[in-house]
Amino acid sequence: MVMHRALFTWFILLVFFILLCLRLESRTHWNWFLIFVPMWIYDLILLMNAIFNVFIRCKHETIRTLFKNENILLLVIVLLKVAAQITLCLKLEYKFLNLQVYHVLIPVWIMLPILIIDVSTTLFRKEERR
Amino acid sequence: MFFTIEELVRWLGLTIFEICINLISLLLFTILLVFLYDPNVETSSNNWWMIFLPLFAGDALNAYFCVIVYIRSLLEMTLKFSLLRISWSGTFLLMTFLFKFLLCKRLLGQVSLDYSEVFAPLYILLQLIAVRACQQS
Repeated sequence: MVMHRALFTWFILLVFFILLCLRLESRTHWNWFLIFVPMWIYDLILLMNAIFNVFIRCKHETIRTLFKNENILLLVIVLLKVAAQITLCLKLEYKFLNLQVYHVLIPVWIMLPILIIDVSTTLFRKEERR
Repeated sequence: MFFTIEELVRWLGLTIFEICINLISLLLFTILLVFLYDPNVETSSNNWWMIFLPLFAGDALNAYFCVIVYIRSLLEMTLKFSLLRISWSGTFLLMTFLFKFLLCKRLLGQVSLDYSEVFAPLYILLQLIAVRACQQS
């Protein structure tokens, strides 16, 4: 149900923001990978959901139609999000690695245009239907 | 998909156009962040207003869009529906704008607020979103 998914997302965000505030205010000195635990859990669930749905469709679809499956898009987005989070945590936790801001943002720069194109096509398709 | 766009639109009370504007402004923000943020100087010495400019511009565009939608829905729908829509959009915009504004001030060192106080608008927005989540069927 939408309500359950929405409430779960809300809870994950709430816990993440609380942990983030605690770490930013230096009240705790936990590892940044630990601060992102709610996000890792959420990403894992999203990945499992996407992979499960792709495998279900595999039975009924050819390879060409499989790539049009919207769950493939979700899979790519989540993987890029995880990559961005890992580089961010590495940058914040291990300063000696000398990671630059653009290293963190490279997955974001791939992810955001994909999302913008997807949302825009939905917007234009909706307009055409009218 | 975990959430379809239609479900997100219904839950968050945003239109697809507003989501699109937010995504574009976020992309521009990340590009400006790379070009204008200098890690070698103090955090407060960076020009954060300039870096946050795309996000504020996105908020302004969304506010303009919401006013247009409000006027049109006043003409085509009931007053109650129009007021409900503008009040939700207004609250959402106000809270996100306040968060960005306070964060900008905090990074510039112009206010001595804790991060939990800076995040307060987001917590309020999260509570409102939780209420909206409970209304979903």
